Amino acid sequence: MRIASHDFIDRSRLARRRRTFFSAVFMLTSLATWFMADLLWQDGGISALEWVLLILFVLLFTHIAIGFVTALLGFYVINRGGDSRQITSTVKPGEDVPLASTAVIMPAFNEDVSRVFEGMRVIFRSLEETKKLEHFDFFILSDSNQPNQWIQEEVAWVELCKQVGGFGKIFYRKRRQQINKKAGNVADFLRRWGKSYRYMVVLDADSIMTGEALVKLVATMEKNPNVGIIQTAPRLVNGETLYSRLQQFANRLYSPLFLAGLNYWQQYDGNYWGHNAVIRVQPFIEHCALPDLPGSEPFGGRILSHDFVEAALMRKAGWAVWLASDIDGTYEEGPPTLIESAKRDRRWCQGNMQHSWLLAAKGFRPINRFHLGMGIMAYVSSPLWLLFLVLSTIHVFSLVRHPPAGTTGEIQTSLFGYAIAVPEAFTLFVFTMLLLFLPKIIGVILTVQDRDRATSFGGRGAVIGSALLETLFSALLAPINMLFNSKFVVYTLLGQGVSWVTQKRGVGDDDADWREAIITHAPHMIFGVVWGVSSFIISPPFFWWLSPVLAGLVFSIPLSILLSKVSLGKRAQQWGIFLTPEETQPPYELRRLRQNLAECYKHMRPLETLRDDYGLLQAVLDPYVNAVHVSLLRQRRPSEESRDYFAQLRTRLLWKGPEELTTKEKMALLLDAESMIWLHRELWCQPSHALAEWWRLAMRQYNVLTAAPITALYR
Amino acid sequence: MEPPVDPVAPSTRFRPRTGTMEAWNAAYVRVEDYLRAHRIHNRLHQSRLIQAVLERAARRHETNPALEPTTLAAEEIEAAMDEWFAGILDDKNIPPDRIAAAGRVALLISDGPQKWPYAFLDRHHVPPDFARAMRESSMQAGPDMQFSNMVPRPIDFGTISEAAGETLERFEKWPVLRTLVLWAVFLATLLAIFRATR
Repeated sequence: MRIASHDFIDRSRLARRRRTFFSAVFMLTSLATWFMADLLWQDGGISALEWVLLILFVLLFTHIAIGFVTALLGFYVINRGGDSRQITSTVKPGEDVPLASTAVIMPAFNEDVSRVFEGMRVIFRSLEETKKLEHFDFFILSDSNQPNQWIQEEVAWVELCKQVGGFGKIFYRKRRQQINKKAGNVADFLRRWGKSYRYMVVLDADSIMTGEALVKLVATMEKNPNVGIIQTAPRLVNGETLYSRLQQFANRLYSPLFLAGLNYWQQYDGNYWGHNAVIRVQPFIEHCALPDLPGSEPFGGRILSHDFVEAALMRKAGWAVWLASDIDGTYEEGPPTLIESAKRDRRWCQGNMQHSWLLAAKGFRPINRFHLGMGIMAYVSSPLWLLFLVLSTIHVFSLVRHPPAGTTGEIQTSLFGYAIAVPEAFTLFVFTMLLLFLPKIIGVILTVQDRDRATSFGGRGAVIGSALLETLFSALLAPINMLFNSKFVVYTLLGQGVSWVTQKRGVGDDDADWREAIITHAPHMIFGVVWGVSSFIISPPFFWWLSPVLAGLVFSIPLSILLSKVSLGKRAQQWGIFLTPEETQPPYELRRLRQNLAECYKHMRPLETLRDDYGLLQAVLDPYVNAVHVSLLRQRRPSEESRDYFAQLRTRLLWKGPEELTTKEKMALLLDAESMIWLHRELWCQPSHALAEWWRLAMRQYNVLTAAPITALYR
Repeated sequence: MEPPVDPVAPSTRFRPRTGTMEAWNAAYVRVEDYLRAHRIHNRLHQSRLIQAVLERAARRHETNPALEPTTLAAEEIEAAMDEWFAGILDDKNIPPDRIAAAGRVALLISDGPQKWPYAFLDRHHVPPDFARAMRESSMQAGPDMQFSNMVPRPIDFGTISEAAGETLERFEKWPVLRTLVLWAVFLATLLAIFRATR
């Protein structure tokens, strides 16, 4: 059993920090509960419904208070010049720590191939510039199950290796079976090559890390042999739509407070967020192979959100897990639209809900249980909030029908000599708002008082204006997300997945998908209208109390469309709204990535008729793509039955065209080397009239374009 | 045994004795396309190769005119490539059915057609640096494997979770029970709302 970095911070000091944190949360929640109980008590007692309301209030307020106290502690840390107990401080500035073998792994699943490989190129080049490249190997671990993606990945890998001299340094692995999703993909890598590396840096397909950040991470691991995982705090970048720019602005402006606060009280009991983190391979192999949960998906079965559990297992085994929020040069991209964000939340919700099984797991550290609990509450708080609001409406309805005798519901106060009626709930309202918005205000003040930092956000005026707009938008988005998450939680509890309208592909940047927006948000709008009308009929003052929540719901469709617009995102950027330091002073790696991607995307795309099966087309038609693909396939001796099966698939593909095959059949052919060799030879040997029309067109089109080979890097 | 393709000295008086002009034109286009697909953009070299390939195809066509000239020409160029790649990569111990794939990969990685524009399919004048580049070009998708045993370890979920897990699994086996419980929850909610609004 490893001993965590107790020498780094003594137990009593850490206990003091945690006592401060939890005591503050407790006191704030107690105070707010007192206000709430007082409010409910006004009619002379607390009914059953009011008890339920009070309990829900306590749960929801605790959740808010945890965020608030974390931010407040972060403010304390930043204000005194930073935390002396940061894991990165173990490496002195300028210290040249000898590094160990490290694998940089990037799992990918049907991602934009150009983005994946251009990202890898940027990371590779950036590391090359640190002169420490020899310690690192790179792996693209593909689980793509679409023929186009798969073939493009292979082509892009070869092109990238050729262009950067990366053969023997950059590797590509495609799993035949996508068992256990990303966690299974990483485990597959570890089983094959884990022994060759002391560390692995796990990236997402949209991650970027600078060479300097990677070197610093590995150096920190080398200096701290008790540390199992160091998680960086990736910054959201490359947003183009108004929604993604809004998110990245909020992330950039407010997250330093929260991250500093988080590190203050969690220290070596940190969490793992699944990517942009370095992991010590051997203990991870020994302790982090995940078992299945009781029951089947979505609530049981395979663990979907593996990262929190892996952190808990590493901690259980005695390895420290740290958050290194002060490491720069670590980036990721956020979802471009509200609907895309909800799709991601759906997966995360399902995964986090599964963690309920692990809350009482034996041997887990209390802080890990707390992390798991917070992950669950991130989604469960939505239906609780919804229930709280609905029950409040019912409560108001019963108060209106049977008004308690002797209460006015208002108190009088004097302002400039005028008597003003103040609702009883006002104090509690102000208190709650303070907890919700004070961290944002502090974030703005911290930025505005530092001229350089303010300039990197576009100036003081831009920071204040953008923060006000962000607050407005986040207030409107909160009830929509509440309904989304409530639906996900309920569906998960009922053991069902959530169906989605397939997103239309191939639309221009601003051809907003109204159809998807209407179908997705119509229930929100209807719910908002019905609720609004009902509450207005019951009690107009209550309607005005609810109006911030109702506004977001009623206008959810136009809001969603508005936020998904790239043109508005760009215009906002020109006006200095939602600017981030990565936009005003983009680091070299991000500039390079943008330039390379622009180069990729400007090339001619294949004909629309051919586009859907362009990967298959290349793998069969192009001698080089065919050769690369065949070389990457394992040699197998197929049985007689499978030979017959492949023979009929092959002839169907050539004589009738790919539209006659299902994706599964195309994948089966692509996995069979013998078939791919046969198809290539046969296609070139057959006279045109013997081939399907689709192949004739493919050959004509391909001959026009082969002068400049179409690859994923030049699509 | 057919004579090897020698693009340096194609017959100057070659013309097919069998087959139609359209069929041989189609065969010409197919070989040209195939060479272009191999990024052989050196027109002079390309035309010599095409003529040599068509000569061989024409000789075969004379013996069996029922065959398509396009098919024969494509087979000829494939055979020529197999032979040429095998000659260049002779020490690599590659199975015969993979020789063309291995050769093309080597050609792609070494940028053969661009750097040595006259070398492709030339058996007699293979530049030594080209041959070396071809032989040294390798595409390694992964480093040597070093297997580790990564076996999931059971997690003790604790008494409450274990009991809940067993109940859930029982629920999954009895969908009727699950439905009844759902109905009961729904009814209880309705009753609660009814009671609260009286």
